[in-house]
Amino acid sequence: MKKNIPNLYVISTTNQATHTGGGFLTRQIKGLGRSSAITSALLMLVAMLAPLAVSHYFIRVLCLTIITYMCVLSLYVLFGMCGQSSFMQCGLWGVGAYITALLTTRLHVPPIIAMLGSMAGTGLFAFLIGLVLFRLKRYYYAFSTIGMMMVLNGLFLNWTAGTGGALGISDIPPFGIGPFQVRSGMANYYLILAFATGATVMVWMLYRSSLGRSFMAIRDNETAANCMGINSLITKDIAFALSGILCGAAGALFSFLSGYISSTSFILSTSQLYLVIIMLGGTSSPAGALVGSLIITLLPEWFRPLKDYMMLMYGMGIMGLMIVLPEGLIGGGKDLYDKFRSRRR
Amino acid sequence: MNLQLLLTGISLGAVYSFIAIGMVLIYRAVGIVNFAQGDFLMLGGFVYYTLIQMALFSAWISLLITTLVVGVSGIVFQFVCYWPLRNAQDKAIVVSTLGASIFMREGAKLIWGATPRATKPLVAGTAKIGTAVLQWQYLIIIAIAIVVIAGIYIMLEKTQLGSIMQATAQNQYAASLMGIPVGTAIAVTFFLSMLVTGLSGALLSPVYFVTNTMGGSSGVKAFAAIVIGGFGSIPGAIIGGVFIGLVEVFGGAYISTTYKDTIVFLVLVVSLLIRPKGIFGEKTAEKS
Amino acid sequence: MTSLEVDAVRQTKTVLKLDKVCKRFGGVIAAKDISFEMFAGEVLGLIGPNGAGKSTLINLITGVYRVDEGNILVEDTDITRLPAHTRALKGITRTFQHPHLLQRSNIATNIYLGTDLARKKKNHIQASQQQELLDRLLQVSGLNQDFSEGIGKLSYGEQKLLETVRAVLSRPKVLLLDEPAAGLNQKELEKVEALVQIALEMDAAVLFIEHRMDLVMSVCHRIAVLNFGNLIAEGTPIQIQDDPVVIEAYLGRKRDA
Repeated sequence: MKKNIPNLYVISTTNQATHTGGGFLTRQIKGLGRSSAITSALLMLVAMLAPLAVSHYFIRVLCLTIITYMCVLSLYVLFGMCGQSSFMQCGLWGVGAYITALLTTRLHVPPIIAMLGSMAGTGLFAFLIGLVLFRLKRYYYAFSTIGMMMVLNGLFLNWTAGTGGALGISDIPPFGIGPFQVRSGMANYYLILAFATGATVMVWMLYRSSLGRSFMAIRDNETAANCMGINSLITKDIAFALSGILCGAAGALFSFLSGYISSTSFILSTSQLYLVIIMLGGTSSPAGALVGSLIITLLPEWFRPLKDYMMLMYGMGIMGLMIVLPEGLIGGGKDLYDKFRSRRR
Repeated sequence: MNLQLLLTGISLGAVYSFIAIGMVLIYRAVGIVNFAQGDFLMLGGFVYYTLIQMALFSAWISLLITTLVVGVSGIVFQFVCYWPLRNAQDKAIVVSTLGASIFMREGAKLIWGATPRATKPLVAGTAKIGTAVLQWQYLIIIAIAIVVIAGIYIMLEKTQLGSIMQATAQNQYAASLMGIPVGTAIAVTFFLSMLVTGLSGALLSPVYFVTNTMGGSSGVKAFAAIVIGGFGSIPGAIIGGVFIGLVEVFGGAYISTTYKDTIVFLVLVVSLLIRPKGIFGEKTAEKS
Repeated sequence: MTSLEVDAVRQTKTVLKLDKVCKRFGGVIAAKDISFEMFAGEVLGLIGPNGAGKSTLINLITGVYRVDEGNILVEDTDITRLPAHTRALKGITRTFQHPHLLQRSNIATNIYLGTDLARKKKNHIQASQQQELLDRLLQVSGLNQDFSEGIGKLSYGEQKLLETVRAVLSRPKVLLLDEPAAGLNQKELEKVEALVQIALEMDAAVLFIEHRMDLVMSVCHRIAVLNFGNLIAEGTPIQIQDDPVVIEAYLGRKRDA
């Protein structure tokens, strides 16, 4: 049977036997399905066992890494799939964090409701803002996201009544359902891991759905996408809203984990960093977001003495990377792999 | 009309104009927005600070040296972030400039530390003009701005170098066919762009603290200036910059000092909605 | 030289109607008082010198450009004010001179975009029937690669075929082809013609812009001639060949010279 796409339509063809192009094994390995399933399974195994092998401090580092990954994943949906850059993802993360913080500390809402509130609230906020911003062309749209990020940061910092201003919001209760509370570092880690895994699975399903395809059609050629029946304004806005939901969840998890949030976490340079991370890892798949996040957050931990120089080296690294591997590690790696294979034929 | 606020606003606006002009020169030449432009302002401030600390030269000579140093660093920047990527996708170049911005920000922190620095003004003391009382430095900024802008105009419009730069900006390929050394023209453009931006950083340092993070928000305000003035137009960059300076100063005084930056960015967002093409309309760059 | 089964001109249903459509770009008149009709099951050729406004006309029909004056109707529905994506849902589909495929995705994803569009339309059919259509189109086009391969693995001709497959897969009412023969060899061209034939069987009205006169004359039921934004002639291939206005504007001297 020809390479199948297990979806509504099975694309088949008649000429099996005369197909040229690589032997059976090559095609099996090429079929991302098999190999990425194995990789993902291994990855999950490592992720689940990791906290048992590392220190308390490192577990917290991992928690923050995965939260960052979720924000970068939001950028994968918006930028990698739909082609719309954004410098306000960190601001959306902040919106999610503050919604949860306020709901739990001021209104004493149960954590799970607060989590849902963060996701829905940030998604809705993104959608409404997007209705306005996506009317702008390319560079103007990008600038407007920068402007919005600064506005959000300004609000977080100065709106003392709403967001606690410079003092932030403290005493955020931990996540919990009923009597069970997620207090310890390890428990938080598994909670965050569960959410991140769920998010990744949903993004993977999005990729294979018609909505995901419409994102990619817009990315590759917006005019042609419109000619194929895709309402680009609304579709871009949906992508933005989905990215908002992801950031909202990440923000809520951050509030629960830290117990205290303030505006210093939600700044423009962190949004820039997300963009750098996804370009580093590669915009063509969530794997890029993961690889990029791991490298950026874990390297400073492993090279403790060089910690202060870490960001400096990233800056240098990113400049070099754009010259050598503009597709990022995953995308560029895949290209190199393909080139290597085709030379061996 | 409060003269003091007006002059301060115009002065601050002149600084933003310089950054904006720098960005526009680069955009016109190579078609991308330089996300590290604000960091060259910071560089100018720190280099000037160091020269003043060394106390080897007078303030004016230090200013000159700073300007040249930052200009040369612009050429280096171009070699790293633009030239190898000149045929690559826009987003790769933009991300590379982001990388440069991070590099410069962190490098500055390592060299000069995280505490804000201040320098001596070129002419000490305050001036009295009517009811306005403000530091001489502000007026000097305005004066130098006028001279520099006039100089840029003359250079671009009246000299051969300017024609070369303009030709390269309009169409690199055609320019190269006419025997114009495109690589050199671009290097000169970057030199000029950073020269102007570095100068404004040095001029600003006596009245605003120099920190390693100042590149971020000033860069964004320069974006706002370009957009409001008209993307890609130099007069637009000037008018836009002054407008932003005035909004910041008047907004801070009459509406709220805490929210003054927020007000600036809200103005940006609103302006994008009402008239995205800006005051002078947009001028797009043609890549070869 | 192949040709489609050129039935006698069956002026059955009017599928697309342009009524005095005008478009200006600054001082340049790209379209002036253009009026014509397209009928179900018929191929209309659009010819004219470069710059005559052919691609502009396709852009006006698909909604990429807004008309300045005039109306466009699809089966009695006025679509003049509708945005491009809505027009696509009403059955207007086009291909591009250089194939506009998702360059970073695989072949299957690109094909799915065609079925996505078909499913959004009001007249969508059952999945099994859509599958049959897809199988038939793939067979006719001869595309039998591994569908999880990237687009980059296809040759230029195969990419154009893929784009046409995708277009016909969406079951268009009006199929607009912008220079479908450009860059194709004879065999590939025959396949394109076969795909168009399938669209015609589904009662589509097909318009194609072409420069190759031999193709236009043999394949089209009717031909419309544009020059400087004006529709200077319209008729059967025989009529057009002998039309002195057309000869002067476009064909140059008489063809046997």
